[in-house]
Amino acid sequence: MREVTSMTAEHSLTWLDQAAWEDLVARFDGRMWAVARAFGLGPADAADAVQGAWLRMVESLDGIRDPERIGAWLVTTTRNEAIRLSRRARGEVASGHDLPDAVVPDPAAAVVDADFGRQVWERLETLDEPCRSLLRFSVMHPEATYAQTAMRLDLSPGSIGPTRARCMSRLRSLVGDAV
Amino acid sequence: MRDEYLLAALRMAVGIDPVPGRVSADARAAFKLRLPGGIIAAPVETSRPHGARGGTLETNPSNAGSSGGRGGAPGLWAGGPRLHRFTTPDLTIDVEPVVADGRLEVAGQVSSSSEPDPGWHVEVRTAHITKTRELPRSGQFAVGGLPVGWFSVVCHRPGEPAVSTRWLHVRP
Repeated sequence: MREVTSMTAEHSLTWLDQAAWEDLVARFDGRMWAVARAFGLGPADAADAVQGAWLRMVESLDGIRDPERIGAWLVTTTRNEAIRLSRRARGEVASGHDLPDAVVPDPAAAVVDADFGRQVWERLETLDEPCRSLLRFSVMHPEATYAQTAMRLDLSPGSIGPTRARCMSRLRSLVGDAV
Repeated sequence: MRDEYLLAALRMAVGIDPVPGRVSADARAAFKLRLPGGIIAAPVETSRPHGARGGTLETNPSNAGSSGGRGGAPGLWAGGPRLHRFTTPDLTIDVEPVVADGRLEVAGQVSSSSEPDPGWHVEVRTAHITKTRELPRSGQFAVGGLPVGWFSVVCHRPGEPAVSTRWLHVRP
């Protein structure tokens, strides 16, 4: 089996065979699934977002110019598909043809990793309340509505959005200090 | 750093909600859906009404039995299915997907500077099912009974590269 990590930018992806493809799936589908679920998608929509990312790759094999960033490309594409599915689930009608242009891999996608996640947990546990409980709950129950979150944590429903944004900002600062 | 990336990393670290086996199996199977040597037609914006669906499902003999039984029913397309158009320099593929009774129906039309010759055919592909239709001179086609979700249409012409649409997603 070819090692995807050994590819260089001079190579196109047209050499990919089934075994190499399955290697990509084994390495990245867990990260893609985690991103789709973290976005708040239910299992069916998350499955569609992940499948959509793989199908975008199928139609983009000749156009991906930096094979070393395939992981970031897949995670970024999953996020893009998750955004489009979320918008449609909310009844938003897209203008134009509603199809993504060429994907620019987001370097930040590299943080979607279990080892890095353990470092983030260490920082999360240092937060004060209600941030610690709120972010724990958000991680474990990404589909929960603000009303459900408020009831569970005994907070005001109207405060969930702003509080969560503030807590995530604090967590990002702590993580930024750590890396 | 995006919030959902941080949340995803946190979820991976505690090992909750691993990727379902069916999702991984579909991802592995996606490799077989590539189209070596094929051309992917570019999406273009369209203004709605006119469409490929005007009576196609019931009036085209080549589509008999393929529509899931509801083609052309009064009011079925209330609000109208969305028209997607894809072009290459010499070919246009119009596609109108609609969900009826929980199944995906796809009507469409292939247009080019010349009428379709015998041997031209289209495939409507999903992750698990592909259905093929010979193209009549009108270039119209319709396929029913497909699972909802992702699909694409491929036009095959003898001696020419296959031309496919982008992958489109449809759910009720």
